Amino acid sequence: MKLINNRNIFKAAFILSFIVISVFTMLGLARILDYLNTGADRTSMLHLETESEDVYLPHVNWTSLENPAREMEKNTLGKLERDYLFSWYVKNTALKTNNSEGIDDYYTANTRLNLYRTIKYNREHQITIENTTIKHSPDLEFYSEDGQLVVFTDKNVIEYQKVYQNKELITTVQDTATYKVMMLLEDGFWRVRHFLKMQPEVFVADTTKTNQIYTVKGNQIFQNKVPYTIKGINYYPKNSAWDTFGELFNKDTIAADFEIIKKAKLNTIRIFIQYGDFGKAKIIPEKMKKLKTFLDLAEAKDLAVVVTLFDFYSDYSLDNWTLTHRHAEQIVSTFKDHKAILAWDMKNEPNLDFENRGKENVLSWLDHMETVIKENDPNHLVTIGWSNSVEATNLAYKMDFISYHFYNDIIHLEYETNQLLKSTKKPVVIQEFGVPSYGGMWNFWEGSIEKQATYHQKMQAYFKKNNYSFMSWTLYDFPHVPDQVAGKWPWQKNRQTKFGFIDDKGVNKPAFKYISN
Amino acid sequence: MIKKALYSVLPVLFLFLFVFAASKIDDERTSFRLQTTQDSFVAGKPIALTFSTPSLSANPQLFLIHTYGKTVLNTENNNGKLVYKIPAIYRSKTGVVSWYLIQNQEKIMSGNFKIVPNDATPTILENYLGPPSLLTGTEHFTMMVAIPTDSYDNPKQDNTTVVIKDQFLEDITTTERKTDYFIAWKNIYSRTKSGKMLISTACNATDSKEFETEIQPSPGEDFKISFSRPHKFADGNQITTLETSTILDKYGNIVGDGTLVTFQVTTQNNILLKTYAATINGIAIGQLLHPDHKDTYTVKGYVTGIAESKPVRIDYNPLIDHFTYKFTEKNRQITVGPLRSFMKQIVPDGIKVELKILYKKELIETKIIETQKGIATFYLLPPFYKKSEYQFEITTLGVTQKTEIKKYETN
Repeated sequence: MKLINNRNIFKAAFILSFIVISVFTMLGLARILDYLNTGADRTSMLHLETESEDVYLPHVNWTSLENPAREMEKNTLGKLERDYLFSWYVKNTALKTNNSEGIDDYYTANTRLNLYRTIKYNREHQITIENTTIKHSPDLEFYSEDGQLVVFTDKNVIEYQKVYQNKELITTVQDTATYKVMMLLEDGFWRVRHFLKMQPEVFVADTTKTNQIYTVKGNQIFQNKVPYTIKGINYYPKNSAWDTFGELFNKDTIAADFEIIKKAKLNTIRIFIQYGDFGKAKIIPEKMKKLKTFLDLAEAKDLAVVVTLFDFYSDYSLDNWTLTHRHAEQIVSTFKDHKAILAWDMKNEPNLDFENRGKENVLSWLDHMETVIKENDPNHLVTIGWSNSVEATNLAYKMDFISYHFYNDIIHLEYETNQLLKSTKKPVVIQEFGVPSYGGMWNFWEGSIEKQATYHQKMQAYFKKNNYSFMSWTLYDFPHVPDQVAGKWPWQKNRQTKFGFIDDKGVNKPAFKYISN
Repeated sequence: MIKKALYSVLPVLFLFLFVFAASKIDDERTSFRLQTTQDSFVAGKPIALTFSTPSLSANPQLFLIHTYGKTVLNTENNNGKLVYKIPAIYRSKTGVVSWYLIQNQEKIMSGNFKIVPNDATPTILENYLGPPSLLTGTEHFTMMVAIPTDSYDNPKQDNTTVVIKDQFLEDITTTERKTDYFIAWKNIYSRTKSGKMLISTACNATDSKEFETEIQPSPGEDFKISFSRPHKFADGNQITTLETSTILDKYGNIVGDGTLVTFQVTTQNNILLKTYAATINGIAIGQLLHPDHKDTYTVKGYVTGIAESKPVRIDYNPLIDHFTYKFTEKNRQITVGPLRSFMKQIVPDGIKVELKILYKKELIETKIIETQKGIATFYLLPPFYKKSEYQFEITTLGVTQKTEIKKYETN
């Protein structure tokens, strides 16, 4: 008898399919049971821990907590402040998207209706409004005995908004107003019950005393009242280009480099702080420690430092404003008394973002950022590193000195610089300039170390003649350049690696002779 | 042919001309004047801002920032007159409204007006009372917060009078308070008597509902305890009842029902026993089982952390001074009893009898049996007790008797 016949095959197939079907049925049932067992954790009803990311961090300063009723507890104040800011955040988001998400959580039943009406009206009329508030100075007026009700006055709230209709920008408006707010504690949330816009209060004049080493008068920068001409260089350690404060941060390397710089008769360096690298709105303490070490070394070597903030940051949207403000605030206020810092350079070549991010956006961001920096550090100068002399007149009235980057033909140097000196009546710094010594197939064997030397020789002659402040690009050739900097193609990248006065083996190139004057 | 070409070109030409002309007019900085002089409006009433301009075509937009929103208004240029009607949703809520006149993305004019609460509409009162219960005394208070609004839910202007009333027993107090920061409020202090206090508010013609706050008695003061029992014998069966005096707070109010009293008992041998009871009408009644031997209990009552009593002493007399026992079945069976109580009655079942088995004055084992009908019987099984002699110590109802040495057969 044949062992394998049709009948046996059928039997086997039948049993097998039965097993397979059973397995899948069991799995399916298990999934259904599993699904039915999931759901919100019961404790979530109590809103005990509403985890939140930092999405909205305008400057908040409680001017007074005194009130005739109950004493405010620190813990409650933190919760109240957070929920109050969220109430602004959800309102701003609602006006931007015409969507009422989140409003239930931060406005009481009666109050939220007003916002719903606004949203409905704006949706019907295709109006969207991007908003952010910059500053809040709440003053507690009343905190009830049972801890369920507060009233406070939020003085001089600065609101900045961009108004669109039919997706077209109508205008941007900055408005200052005082708000009187009543909030109730309802199921774990402080919710807005009453809200009242009022006339702003009279601004109190700032009385902070400044303690400046570097000052500016006319076209001249002064150091302790002595005229100071910046003879500087853009600096990255050789092996950590665009990553000064990264893993390879080494005190000795930097000290040795400073020695080279000092000996080369330079007096200033320019460094870069990356927004993401330093932790965005929540500054990473370790990075601050490294920055302090760096600045202390510079101070010891008697070098002035121009610190460029917001490197690799290119989102200027209103949603992000308050976060960038906190970033800058933490850095500049920490180092406001540091003697090594000459100036804060708010952003490197922001005009390159004009096209993609909107000139208006970029300029208003810079404008407000200047205010934040000056408020937190009145001691140091402020500038912006524009990529050419034409754009360098933007916001010139707010700058202490004008910085621009010169990569044009040498013959234009005097014209461009003098034009800026004349039009802005402020000191002008040629904050970047240089040529690569790279001569390869990607630039038709155009550059060479000799040509680079000649270039710097000529430039230094102009600087000496006109007493211009300059900062060359850059001390070292870099073995690695990140893609974000120049681009990913070899003809873009290779060029960028060879701008140094010292090559990547640590040997001085001929140009080194003309590093200063 | 030329004519035909002309026909097709001319409209295009005119269109261009028109566009240029229009842009020319738009480009010039037209001046605007606000004709509306009123800068304060009542909520719910129509509001319109009227501007005049020499331009007959300029048509700027009005951007509004209101307490509860922001929006853009458009209107028609009617012979140099522009009327912006404020939508109803922005008219009914109070506050300063900032406006910005915008043309070609430029802010040409700005200003603001104010909307005040509509006092002609019925007042609505919102009240918050807390905490909802108080202790008696003079330092405790509950806070009444009243927020009077108009019918559009706008808080009334500052200095609106709110009357806050409270009633306690015969006593009715009425106070006038002015609103400030939306609210009028008052601390209503507790009384020395416990009970219910009613609070209400009124503003203009509107009266609130009544709010209740409970004045609870303060924590109790020290108290006394007493005891009672069926008899004073230590029979291990009856119950002694411990009773506190009425526990009062310092103002003479009976403490709240359910106040837990701990009765702590110290025996003669310094062993601690505890029994608990909650108060009803200020009195807590605890129960304590009689000991089964002569003892003296010292009992003290506590309301933990708050109040205590002075100790009382309770003496328990012994039930018997001696008992009988007998050996049978070759001394293997020991029968204790019958145990007789104070009236010669058989003791209740369950009296503990302890038998200590000694061999040459050394304790080998302790057996415990409870009496049945006054008798407890021990049996020493030969396989377990193989020695030739044993002595016994029998204890019951606090009395210990030692037997003589008994001889046993051994195989």
